[in-house]
Amino acid sequence: MILSVRDFAIGFQREGQNLVAVDGISFDVAEGETFVIIGESGSGKSLTGMSIAGLQPPTAFVSGSIRFKDREMLKRPDAELRKLRGPEIGLIYQDPLSSLNPVWPVGDQIAETLVAHGLAGRTEARKRAVEMLERVRIPDPRRVTSAYPHEISGGMRQRAMIAMALAAGPSLLIADEPTAALDVTIKAQMLELLAELKRELALTIILITHDMGVVAEVADRILVLYAGRIAEVGPADSIMLQPSHPYTAALMTSAMISQTPAKQELNAIVGGAPGLGAFPSGCRFHPRCPRAQDDCKAIEPPRRKFGAVELACHHPIEAAMSLQVARS
Amino acid sequence: MSISTQLTRWTIARPRGVLLPLALLMVVILAAFTLLPGLIAPHDPIALAMADRLKPPSLTHVFGTDEGGRDVFSRIVYGTRYSLGVAIAIVFASALFGVVYGAVSGMARQSIDNLMMRIVDLFFGFPALVLALAVAASIGRGLDSVALSLAIIWWPGYARLVRGEVLRLRERPHVEAARALGVSEMTILRRHIIPFVIQEVNVRVTTDIGYALVAVTALSFLGLGANSPTPEWGLLIRDSRPYFGSAWWYLVFPGTMIMLTATAFSLIGDALASRRAA
Amino acid sequence: MALLELDAVSKTFSQRRGGRAVQAVAGVSVAVGKGETLGLVGESGCGKSTLARLALKLVDVTDGRVRFDGIDVTGFASRRMLPIRRRLQAVFQDPLASLNARMTIAEVMREPFDTHGVKLGAGLEARIRELLSFVGLENIDIQKLPGQFSGGQLQRIAIARALALEPEIIVADEPTSALDPSIQAQIVNLMLQIQRKRGISYLIISHDLDVIGHVADRIAVMYLGTIIEQGTADTIMQRPLHPYTQALLSAAPTLAARRQVGWKRIMLTGDPPNPADVPSGCRFHPRCHLARDICREKVPPLRAMPGTGQMVACHLAPEETARAGAEVGRARRGLAAAS
Repeated sequence: MILSVRDFAIGFQREGQNLVAVDGISFDVAEGETFVIIGESGSGKSLTGMSIAGLQPPTAFVSGSIRFKDREMLKRPDAELRKLRGPEIGLIYQDPLSSLNPVWPVGDQIAETLVAHGLAGRTEARKRAVEMLERVRIPDPRRVTSAYPHEISGGMRQRAMIAMALAAGPSLLIADEPTAALDVTIKAQMLELLAELKRELALTIILITHDMGVVAEVADRILVLYAGRIAEVGPADSIMLQPSHPYTAALMTSAMISQTPAKQELNAIVGGAPGLGAFPSGCRFHPRCPRAQDDCKAIEPPRRKFGAVELACHHPIEAAMSLQVARS
Repeated sequence: MSISTQLTRWTIARPRGVLLPLALLMVVILAAFTLLPGLIAPHDPIALAMADRLKPPSLTHVFGTDEGGRDVFSRIVYGTRYSLGVAIAIVFASALFGVVYGAVSGMARQSIDNLMMRIVDLFFGFPALVLALAVAASIGRGLDSVALSLAIIWWPGYARLVRGEVLRLRERPHVEAARALGVSEMTILRRHIIPFVIQEVNVRVTTDIGYALVAVTALSFLGLGANSPTPEWGLLIRDSRPYFGSAWWYLVFPGTMIMLTATAFSLIGDALASRRAA
Repeated sequence: MALLELDAVSKTFSQRRGGRAVQAVAGVSVAVGKGETLGLVGESGCGKSTLARLALKLVDVTDGRVRFDGIDVTGFASRRMLPIRRRLQAVFQDPLASLNARMTIAEVMREPFDTHGVKLGAGLEARIRELLSFVGLENIDIQKLPGQFSGGQLQRIAIARALALEPEIIVADEPTSALDPSIQAQIVNLMLQIQRKRGISYLIISHDLDVIGHVADRIAVMYLGTIIEQGTADTIMQRPLHPYTQALLSAAPTLAARRQVGWKRIMLTGDPPNPADVPSGCRFHPRCHLARDICREKVPPLRAMPGTGQMVACHLAPEETARAGAEVGRARRGLAAAS
């Protein structure tokens, strides 16, 4: 296991109240896999991803453990975490401008990460920056190295950000909604690039997204987060094609517009995701769940093995039934 | 450049913890000084008492006395109305005129907008001191001429701020949605733009009161403003100069008062700005 | 007769500071019939949002005509547009941004009535409640500000407001794009429901082919300010002829793709085009995997295919692209084809 998360919780203090955003989740990520964290806004997916890289908001309180390559990440001083980000963990975001400095040429920024980590001297780093840009399929890497972020197109910026994240040779790449703002044709390019880079560089990828299409494309294993708790975790095929948790099933069916006959009612989940501090009792999904019964309101479902997956649900969907749900 | 940056410049750190309550307390005190000076000031601010000339701070005269034997504290209390009053008047008048001017410019056709902004540029370029001298020369020295000349150079700041905000807000989705609904431009301005502009203007007004106070007292200090024996703060400092070596209190207390007042308004403006951002 | 008709409209934005003019929409003709849904799909910068704003008369056309129910409204000033606006309403992408943050829901909801001089007096609140419950919002506190509602609720409020004057058509610019996936499906359902109950028309603009394919009767595909393909939803989603439409359909990742081992998608190279720098000939040729000499030189006209009414602007279609199109369509429906 390259990453082990145990009973991880993160929360905030607001107006004297403790608001728990992620409430005791555990999962493992194996070396070389693409592990996808699915969730809607407020599910805690980004907080979880950022905490893995030691980037939780400074005002947050955390508990539990996040072990990356046998190092505890949660209680590590900032200076040490900074040393890990780059050579061990790379990060990419939805908005490339958030990680690229607008007043610095792209190539210099990539080279700087190498120099800062003592991986290369200035001249060597510059050469490696060009190589890195080539590696992310930028057609004219020499021109782009000396360009400022605003001088290159959105797609190129996205690639430059990936190049920067990977320059120092990390083994884990955390991608937080990397395709959310992209057009479909560019999104397809980006997914292909990530798949290729993963192969070439033997990367482990943790992808955080709410785009089921993207998930279907790349996921090996999937973690479904709902209101700060794990709904379901397991192999992608089981979760996408035979979802057992009613929430996952609903997510998948509402994402299957192209398989629903035109103009017919889609299988939508009622209501909206609960906000921070307003998580329901018992199973947090119960107010929106079509299968909810009395026990769901009162008792928080424990996590248990169910077929190929682990889930937290009192009344999961049996395999034969789930196929039907997936087809309706 | 506004006069505040020409004459002086205050840079103040973000208000934290106790600073903001202290600033608010300061404003309450200033309000009391302005509205009820008679109840607070222990002595007459104008009447001379040559026997008590240049007395250091004591229990009877907490801030000491001036060369006419007048109580410096009482003069400061009565002076609030002049110094701060004029500063507030300048800022309010400028803001009022600037909001209307800026809103019209921001909503108008581009050619009119351009013309109106060139006029603003003209006023912006005007050197404050020269204008103050010219106004003083034509209508006479006094707080009214200070107020007039400062207002003349102050309003363009508001006109620019408001025009920029209006232009920005005009492109906002909620304005576009209102337009699609058929809401008239006047109603859009009144209902969907001005309330957001006012938020910005409030911040600016609060901070500017401090700057304007510094400007008013500075012009009085230079001899362009209030005339003796008005207890205006800048004039107090001007009058104190010959005695600084022997009567430090005469200079230090009015000076501190100006500084504290400007700081208080600046802090509150800052707090308003950060609350609006949140 | 079409309810809303854009006839060869163009829009050129002149940039300030002497920058060159950008033609966001270049001679586009589309029409939405009564009770019909026209879906307009394209990537960012293709001019689809500008087209929506032209249709709503939020910006004026540089060229061409805009007609509403046969009335030429191209030169109409805002006063003359008012009675038209009552019949033509809009829903926008970001529901939070498109509602005034300082107005309560009650104020937001009464604005259409006030604007159009509809006096409901004491019946106003009941009418507002009725509209809100029609969009699935019973018992919400209408004295609250928009910031206190979720995105899905706000989009319902925006839709309720658009319905207040019982319009005949709603122009919706990316109505689901800013919402969470489970909420997107709710809004799609709501829009379909409204159409079934009220028989209104929609002009829906989106980059999301899934949504457009699901709700539209007809689809127009935009690329760099022009329409490159147009037809019934079935033909566009199942048998697209233009290489760009095919690439678009093929690029969108779907659950179906997971079930189709060995399916190769059409991958476009290069960036989305820049409207300030329009290529010669066919605007799509620099990214087209089938481009040949003629594509660089001659602008392909939008021509009608015999029989289907499908219109395509491509030098190659339909002879050379029909097979690939049918394949893309099948792959997308994945599950249906496989089972």
